[in-house]
Formats: sequence, C-alpha cells, structure tokens
Amino acid sequence: MNRHTLPIVFLVVLAALAVGLRTAPLSSQGLTITAAAVEGALPVNAVDDPLWQRTTAVDVPLSAQMIAKPFWPTAKVKSIRVRGLHNGQDLALLLEWNDDTRNDASLRVDEFRDSVAVQFPLVAAQPFVCMGQQGGNVNIWHWKADWQAALVARRTLQAAHPNIYVDYYPFAEADDNLYAAAYADTTYLTAEAAGNLLAMPVHASPVEDLVAGGFGTLTSQPAAAQNVQGYGVWQNGVWRVIFSRGLRSNESDDIVLTPDQVYAVAFAAWDGANGERNGAKATSQWVSLQFGAAAAPTAPAAPEAPSAPAPMGLPLWAWIILGVLGLLILLGGLFALLLPDRT
Amino acid sequence: MPDVYNWQIGRTMAYPYPEAHPRRQFAAVFNINRCIGCQTCTGACKATWTFSRGQETMWWNNVETKPYGSYPQHWDVKALQLLDEAHQAAGVQPRWDRGQTGERAPYGVYNGLTLTEAADPNEVVLGYLPTDAEWRYPNFYEDTSTAYPGGPFGLSPDGAALPEHQAWFFYLMRVCNHCTYPACLAACPRKAIYKREEDGIVLIDQERCRGYRKCVEACPYKKTMYRGVTQVSEKCVACYPRVEGADPLTDGVPMEARCMAVCPGKIRLNGLVEIAEDGSWVEAPQHPLYYLVHIAQVALPLYPQFGTEPNIYYIPPRWAPRPYLRQMFGPGVDQAVERYTAPSRELLAVLQLFRTTQKMIFRFEIEEGPLVREVAVNGKTWQMYNDTVIGFDAKGREAVRLSVVEPLHERPPERPNSI
Ligand code: SF4
Ligand code: SF4
Ligand code: SF4
Repeated sequence: MNRHTLPIVFLVVLAALAVGLRTAPLSSQGLTITAAAVEGALPVNAVDDPLWQRTTAVDVPLSAQMIAKPFWPTAKVKSIRVRGLHNGQDLALLLEWNDDTRNDASLRVDEFRDSVAVQFPLVAAQPFVCMGQQGGNVNIWHWKADWQAALVARRTLQAAHPNIYVDYYPFAEADDNLYAAAYADTTYLTAEAAGNLLAMPVHASPVEDLVAGGFGTLTSQPAAAQNVQGYGVWQNGVWRVIFSRGLRSNESDDIVLTPDQVYAVAFAAWDGANGERNGAKATSQWVSLQFGAAAAPTAPAAPEAPSAPAPMGLPLWAWIILGVLGLLILLGGLFALLLPDRT
Repeated sequence: MPDVYNWQIGRTMAYPYPEAHPRRQFAAVFNINRCIGCQTCTGACKATWTFSRGQETMWWNNVETKPYGSYPQHWDVKALQLLDEAHQAAGVQPRWDRGQTGERAPYGVYNGLTLTEAADPNEVVLGYLPTDAEWRYPNFYEDTSTAYPGGPFGLSPDGAALPEHQAWFFYLMRVCNHCTYPACLAACPRKAIYKREEDGIVLIDQERCRGYRKCVEACPYKKTMYRGVTQVSEKCVACYPRVEGADPLTDGVPMEARCMAVCPGKIRLNGLVEIAEDGSWVEAPQHPLYYLVHIAQVALPLYPQFGTEPNIYYIPPRWAPRPYLRQMFGPGVDQAVERYTAPSRELLAVLQLFRTTQKMIFRFEIEEGPLVREVAVNGKTWQMYNDTVIGFDAKGREAVRLSVVEPLHERPPERPNSI
C-alpha cells in the first residue's frame, strides 16, 4: 500500500464507520412499540376503531431480504406503521403499509398473495432476525390476504379460470357445483392428506401460527394449536391488518407475553404483485414491544413512558468508544494525507 | 457453491449441495423414432395420478410435437433464451469440446454455463415461472410439421427421404427426468424436495411444501406443477409404488411406471441402474439401459447443457435436421443416429425388449440365431440375424423372451378373411 492509497483507505473506513453510526439509530433497532393499555374488549376486527387513536404509531422501516437466497433487492414494502393495544388479557397489533394492488388469491400458478408477518423470539436472547436460528426458535404469525378473502368467499376455480370445464372428478362427492364438491377421502388432495395446514379447505383465521429455527425450517403449528386471530382490509392502496392473541399460551412454540416485560419483535411484508413469497420479502430488524400501564378507560392516551432501553441498543459507553475511535481514524487519515510524499 | 461431477457435460459444475448419489437410479430410454403420438402414456398418468380437483392442467407425462409444440408453451425456447442471454452477458461462447471425450465424459466437455452457473447472483438457478395461460394447451401444434421449402402449399412433390426430411416433425414425450442434480431441489428454499437414496426418484414433500413455486421457476423442463387448490406443488412421482415392487402383479419385483408400461408404440424401456459412489453408472454391459446409454450410446439426455443430469434418455429421430437435434441432445447425436440406423446385432436384439413386460428388466442375454437378411443401409452392407433376447427381472427370473424376427403365420389363400 503506498502513501496515496493509505489516506483513501482511512477515509473509506471512516465513512463506513460514520454511516454505521448514523444509520444504527435510524434503523428499526432501538425502536419501541408501546401497546397501550385499555379496558374491555380489543377492536380485533375494527381497523377504524377510535381506540387505535390512543396509541402511538411507530414506523418500522423494512429492507430487502439479502441474507439467504433468493435475495430480493426489489422488495416493495418499505415500512410498516405499527400500533398496539392490550387489556391485560389480549394483545392486538395493527399493521399498516402501502400497497398499490390487492392480491388476495393464490389459485393460479402466477398469482401470489399479499401477506405480512410478526415474529417473536422464543428464547430470552435475540436469535437471528431472519427466521431465528438453531437453538433460537421464533414464533411467527403470518397473515395471508387470500385466507382473509376466503373467510368471506373462497376463490373458486371458475373465478380463476373462467372457461374451465371438467366432466367429473372421480371420487368427489355428488354436488351441484362440481368445482366445490367435497372429497370424503383426502388421498386425492395429496397435501391435505399429508396434513399440510396450507391445504386445508377452511381456515378459521386468516393468520397462520408458525415456528421456525433458521432458514427453511418454517413449520406450521398443528391445526389445534392455531390460536392467532387476524383481520385485514385493503383500501386506497393501504393494507391494514390486525393480529390478536391472548397474552398467555400453554404451547411451547408460542410466545408467552407478560405486560411488565419488554419483548423483541420483528416484521416482514410481501407484495404479491411483485411475485414476493418465501425469502423474497422485506424485513425489519428486531424492535421492542412494551406494554403500557393500565389507564383509566376514559383518560386520553397517557403520555408515552420513556422507552425502556432497547435490549439490542448499545450502551452509552460503547457509543463513546466508537466515537473516539472514529475521531482517531479521521485524524490518522488527515495526518497521512499531509505527510510529504517521500517516493 | 460446492462442485459436483456431471458426466453428461464431462466436468464438475456448481451445485448448492455437495455431491451425493443414490444407490440406484430410476431411468428410462425413449425411442423417439417409434412414437406414434397416441398419448396413451399421457392418459395413463392422468388416470393414475392427476384426475382430481386442482390438477386440471397438470400433465406429468406429456407428448409434444417438435419443433412447434411445447407444454407449457415455449418452455424449451424460453429456457434456452435465458441461457443464451446469460452467456452473452458473461461473454461466454458455449461449446462442446469433443477432443476431451473419455469414459467419464462420453459426449466431451461442455464449456458453457449450466443453469446453476448462469443464475442471477440473487438466485440459485436460472429460470422463469410460466404464466397460467402457458399451461393451457398440452398438445398445441399437434402433428404440425415445418413447411416444405420448395413446393406450393408447403408440400413436397417427391415425398420424404432419409437422411433428413425437408418437411419434418417428431414427437417428444416427456416426464420428470428424476435428475441427478435436480434444479427443482436446488431452488427450494425449504428443502421440501428430496431425492430418494434407494432409487433416485425426486419427490416433493407434500407436508413441507409451502407453494412458493421456486421449483416451478427453476426446473428447466417445467415438470413441477403448482396445484392452487391445495396450495402446494406436485410432480411426477415415477410411479414409486410400482418401482418399489408393491404391485401384487409383479410378485415383489420392481415394475415399470404406468406411462412406460402402457406404451402401444413400444418406445419406452424403464428400469433401475446401479450408481457408484462417484455418481457413474456401475458397469453392467448386460443391463439394457446401461447398454443403450453407455455402450451403444444411441440414447442421449435432453438438453444436457442445463446441467441437471437428466435420467430420461432419448434415441433421436433419424429424419430430423442434425443441427436441431444437436442443440437438443448434444454432440452425441450424429453417432447415435448412425448407430440406430444400422444397428449392431446386439443393439437390434436389445431394442426388442422395449415394452414387452411390465417388470423392469435388470439383465439381458442373447442367444444367437441365423442370418436372415442382408441389405444396403447408407451404402454399406447391413446384416440381420434372428437372435433371441431374454430379459430377467430383479430376482434373476426370466421375464421375457423374444426373437428379432416376429413369428409369422401366413393364412391359406382360400381363407383370406377367416377369424
Ligand atoms: S426434471 Fe425438473 S422436476 Fe424433474 S428432477 Fe429434474 S429439475 Fe426436478
Ligand atoms: S412415471 Fe408415473 S407419475 Fe411419472 S409421468 Fe409416468 S405415469 Fe406419471
Ligand atoms: S404411449 Fe408411447 S407411442 Fe403413444 S404417445 Fe406415448 S410414448 Fe408415444
């Protein structure tokens, strides 16, 4: 390395450090979502309920998933606005994000659903933010636009393929509508027979409750253990989706929440119109979720409690050391630049 | 990405998983020359596996008329175009180096990029997702030939003659290739696709699949298919219960797959070949598939340059233009056509075994017979012997016995229409 390149290297290191210093506080790390305490039932099916206005919305930035292939640099969703409510029994989260198109079907090979997910670690530490890691499982709640739509009316084959004509399906039950006829023997609906939750003809909730411990390990919890509720509407280019669940759960793959603790939580969103599914998505970092103290039912929203130190944030002394380091590198770089060139 | 050895392209290539091989491999030889385009194979598969809701456009076996037909539409043109573009972007001229042919590189060395090597840096495999509409017409362009260049209405006044017809088409019968290095498996982010150790059959775990369709995107042959009704993908299962010998009809020995066993054109020979630890086929000169692929070398892989090492082999059609065949089956085409046109005594005997028993044949023997015919083929004398070929099943029992000359009975002239 000659004397000319040395200062450049110093400056690059310095720039990188500066960028690191600047973006860390601006990234989702260090953000805290406070679930405001209310009394009575939570508005789990009402995105316009005035109770949501009592909460402080937090914009959680999302970035393209670039850790495991397929990478997805073109991820569409840039941020999710999150609000939370709790009543000591249940938690409800309202997620809002922009999406120009509503994609609530996945019947044709080339259609993908819009969806959004909330992720909690199942261990005290924070496992890897993308799907957890071995020994660091995460509980994922995955809301799907097509499951939501199916609660009103399941998309039919005739809707997906207007010119479809089939004489008959062997082994299907007699039915006026051939295309909706039930099968007594699910052998012919292979994935359903194999117990794949996705293949079940009806889902009680638009949210799938899952567990994962690293890339490729995502697993649906058993049908009987599906206990996350959800509700989503799309209007004027915005999806608004509510997740709700009891704070407690007896299942080992479920997050158990107690209002006096702070939890890490992460988010991901998929834009179906952009072909997004699996790792082709936008994800957040871990952010904090805390529970507001019980408030009088009629009182206006309590001023936000000073946010608890984010578990993932660096302590002050670490910032000071980083700052001093940066300064030293800057001085070193300048010094090297000013030195006369002896070659 | 680790490197794996792909003998069809004569070199190591990039693949996301380390090299590992099954003990035996499901494989088949399809003789394009004999296919009559009857679609019995297509119907047999449909009637066995894909007759239920959500499988309407699913044809695990399909027969398309080349050069225009394709299912899903334009699968081959699109895959080849993607590869071409990748080569251009990388400044690579894909070529086969025939100077380097050898035991582990029977077709020479392919110097272009495979689909895993040409993949976008964000992806594992280079591919595309066919649209919904592209699965509509499994037999579009059926029997459509190229136009005769010289005559009015595209018709030839002279008929057609070998070695190359001027107006031509041929059938291409396709099932999943149960590839040695499946692109579908490589692309699945969930590892929901697996290759069985006992027979190399590639399956999609119906419980683990989450319908991401990365396999549909990645398989260049487009042999994984999405079933929206169950929200997951499905594919040819190689009729694995039959291969396992679970069908009572064969008394516990492996049986040919449905589409193979029904073929009235007798174009298909299906079996299991022994695989060595290094992925090569264990030398077995008396195994009909080993003989056809490795000794006679009349049966070739479809688009070996894709790099998946497909396990369905084709005897190319004698009458089609060689450049078209070469881009399809690689540089082994000329030799394969030549050998098939004037088959050796042994090859002619082995060709009799096609579609004569439902049991998979693991070994053949030939009993020599007399010379019955001598004709000129391509200017050379060709002799035909009435040899007898005997096929043996997995337990070494005789399964079938045939002579080259079919038994003939001539009815007396006074009984022309007797039944
Ligand atoms: S042909 Fe396609 S689906 Fe079949 S194993 Fe190969 S890559 Fe997979
Ligand atoms: S091997 Fe069996 S499953 Fe595969 S295409 Fe043939 S009949 Fe269908
Ligand atoms: S059954 Fe045989 S002859 Fe008929 S289309 Fe299929 S491969 Fe060709």
